[in-house]
Amino acid sequence: MIHLIHLKNQKFPKGVLNMTTEETNAKEKSSYLPLIIAGGVAIFLLGLAIYIPLLIVGLIIVGASVFKLFKDGAKEKFADNKEAEEEKFPLDSVPKEKLGLWIFLASEILIFGSLIIAYAYVRINSGSWPVATQTHNVLLGMTNTIILLTSSLAMILALYSIRAGNVKGLKIALGSAFALGLAFLVIKLGFEWPELISKGFTINSGLPASTYYTLTGLHAVHVAVGMVAIGYLMFRTYQGGFTSTKHVAVENVGLYWHFVDIVWMFLFPLFYLI
Amino acid sequence: MAGIKLYIGIWLGLVFATVMEVVVRSLTGTAAVFVLIIMLIASIKAIAISLYYQNLRHEGIRLATLPIAAVVGIVFLAVSAAMTMSMGM
Repeated sequence: MIHLIHLKNQKFPKGVLNMTTEETNAKEKSSYLPLIIAGGVAIFLLGLAIYIPLLIVGLIIVGASVFKLFKDGAKEKFADNKEAEEEKFPLDSVPKEKLGLWIFLASEILIFGSLIIAYAYVRINSGSWPVATQTHNVLLGMTNTIILLTSSLAMILALYSIRAGNVKGLKIALGSAFALGLAFLVIKLGFEWPELISKGFTINSGLPASTYYTLTGLHAVHVAVGMVAIGYLMFRTYQGGFTSTKHVAVENVGLYWHFVDIVWMFLFPLFYLI
Repeated sequence: MAGIKLYIGIWLGLVFATVMEVVVRSLTGTAAVFVLIIMLIASIKAIAISLYYQNLRHEGIRLATLPIAAVVGIVFLAVSAAMTMSMGM
């Protein structure tokens, strides 16, 4: 009775008292942040196309929203958000976080696939095209490929470690993946691009250059985003956020990181060898 | 989950395949054949990462339809683009 009076005097959002426990749980764990991030990205792209100050506004919105999302994630806000049995079909055995990530990866395949097709079309229909091995540094490209492959190995070892309850192993593996991602970007942006630009191979110098910078630049952005995600995993690891039974974020960031690796497996031969 | 030796073995195979791509490129011969071999090696590498590191071989066929659907989408886009171009649009 005392509990009932207490509940009656509490202020709840409109309609909450009529909800079932499952509905209340789902409402508490839902978030508008993905919508706000999408809006921020739209403003960013609009700014890129028509008005540069808008680009900064978009960046601020995305940055602040992602920070809030990470903060909510660290507080386990989205954990154990169970869905009704009938909503699971046809992918009953796949957790919704993982399913969401695979749908995201499918959209990424479309983005990179479309750009690679555009590159192939432009190249096939061009009268002349510079010889790849004379334009690009094959050794640096191969080194970067091996660095990314090694970082993928580090990510799968991170998952392997935490599944075995080895937190120290997780820390070492995540640190290695982060350092290798950084090494990839340093080689790409600190050595390769300046070397190409000094040779006159700039984004405005023709289709071979613009397709190269567009695709490898987009890929580099994906590597940078992956590093932010790995940084978040490291932060949560040091907070004691992962155990042998609770590590879904490690698995999902790993899926993304391997995808970035897979994309490079095609970009390397397309730009450096063929 | 697969053993640590398997993951290291896959990594060694991927590094070897990368070196092979560069070796094939340095050979002399018909360019079309080399392009075919290099892209075949790249595809094998991508499939190996997907199956072993992304663990798709244990996820079941339903989840695997998602990336396959995306690839079908790309083919559809490519065919549409080719048809549009052939019609001079």
